[in-house]
Amino acid sequence: MIVFIHGGIPGITPYASGAHIWGPVLERFKGATALEVRGKTIDAMSEQVRNAIAGKGRCHLVGHDLGGLLALSVAIDAPHLVSAVTAVASVAAAPTGDGLADFTHAFPPAPLYGRESQRWALERVSYSHHHIDERLLDACVTAAAKQTRMSREDYAEHFVPSLMKAKSRFYEVCRTEGIKVPCQVIWGSHDPLSTFDHGLWLFRGIAQKQRVSQFHVVNRAGALPFREEPAAFHQVVAAFADVVDA
Amino acid sequence: MGHADTQVAPARKSPLPEGRWLDVEGIRTRYFEAGSGEPMVFIYGGNFGTGDSASSAYTWSNQIGPLSAHCRAIVFDKVGQGETDNPKNDDYTMAAVVRHAAAFIRALKLPPVHLVGHSRGGYAATRLTLEHHDLVKSLTVVNSGTLSPGVGTNEVVLAKPPHPAGTRECVRWVYQNYSFNPDIVTDEWVDAVMHTLSLPKYQESVRKLGGEKLNTKLFLPELAREKRETLQWINEGRLQRPVQVIWGFDDRTAVIDRGVELYQMFARHERRALFHVINQSGHFPFREHPERFNALMRRWLESLA
Repeated sequence: MIVFIHGGIPGITPYASGAHIWGPVLERFKGATALEVRGKTIDAMSEQVRNAIAGKGRCHLVGHDLGGLLALSVAIDAPHLVSAVTAVASVAAAPTGDGLADFTHAFPPAPLYGRESQRWALERVSYSHHHIDERLLDACVTAAAKQTRMSREDYAEHFVPSLMKAKSRFYEVCRTEGIKVPCQVIWGSHDPLSTFDHGLWLFRGIAQKQRVSQFHVVNRAGALPFREEPAAFHQVVAAFADVVDA
Repeated sequence: MGHADTQVAPARKSPLPEGRWLDVEGIRTRYFEAGSGEPMVFIYGGNFGTGDSASSAYTWSNQIGPLSAHCRAIVFDKVGQGETDNPKNDDYTMAAVVRHAAAFIRALKLPPVHLVGHSRGGYAATRLTLEHHDLVKSLTVVNSGTLSPGVGTNEVVLAKPPHPAGTRECVRWVYQNYSFNPDIVTDEWVDAVMHTLSLPKYQESVRKLGGEKLNTKLFLPELAREKRETLQWINEGRLQRPVQVIWGFDDRTAVIDRGVELYQMFARHERRALFHVINQSGHFPFREHPERFNALMRRWLESLA
């Protein structure tokens, strides 16, 4: 069974992510489910994912950005629950390094989480605006109204330290015993939040010890390749699932 | 539970369907096909006249059978390689290989094909697409140092095998050094190479390219000239077909950076451009990880339908 895990942090990411973010591509995967995940730390969020999939047999976790790191964390803690991981545009899991300040979302227009503000945010992480339709904006506006936004204090005090801790652990495992399940990394060619190299280095990390690992680039896609190029995204995920979930 | 080596080996199933012959503009051409539906045509690497290794249709033995469930899978022996006749008038050039490949597709009267080329065959498949757009529906290039820009490192890895040319030991050494996992170079693979090397017409090509120096006088300089033009054409956006680049991550003869650069050249002009990297694979990802390679090909077909 394929389980999709969204990314984004309410109150920090200037569009509301959630199960809705995957959009029409979900219809191409029979029997797939998309989770809603909330929490102040990576540990809390990983635990939610774990609880959600426990008892469902081994699941192929497909995680976007932060969801990719959650999927990898669950694969480390509970490999018996996971058949494979696909990390999509997972800037959260990619090496942090001493990067440059990212201004992609620096000055969102008010009112925050309104329809136009979210449209602005989604456009800025995309290669093209064409996938940003009324259905997506409706879903984002609805999701934003339901979300509890993380405060800047919680973000700095709790979330970021938990993120750095989870990443350290992930790279340590990659270097030592290795991730125990097959993994692939999918990257958008024009992701404004990261570079091609970030994706390739995330793959290199996993590839150190996990034989069954792959890296894929989807062209003319930003941070949401599953929305911008659903056919290509489906090809890559379905092909991996054909073999590793069998 | 017994060990594999104490069990009676099952009768080995032939790795390719029964071969057929086709006259392609006077060149007796060996080919193999299975399945129905959209045609997928495979072009292997290497070139005529090499004495320490020799490619043939067998290279794709893990693809034709499994993929025939999803398409009409076809592999042919290139001019001068495998069992196909040598080129006429000593035209030992890549241009002759491309011309023959295109004429083969025309002779079979195929609708536009999904072309898959590996190594030197990746160059041939790309050049064929650039010259004969009407024959090609999509292009897949696998670990092609011949096509990609940058420094080729074949010599660094494979110069002067430590065994006499043409021996089993030499052949095994060459393919093992191409590979991540040396165990994938099976006796069956070595047998297929030895068969090609034993053919009188193949030995003639070895004499032509080596003894008569057509390799350095004709094949390599012509290829260098045409490669410059081919890369220019790609940069100009002349490919105009969906394209994917598949790369074995650990290929020391065509390193990953060369795959990245090639992919980026394609991607500038083609929306449907994909890059796939397969871990723990050397030069032959379709032999080291056939199941995942075949799944990518099957889903590629589906995504373009």
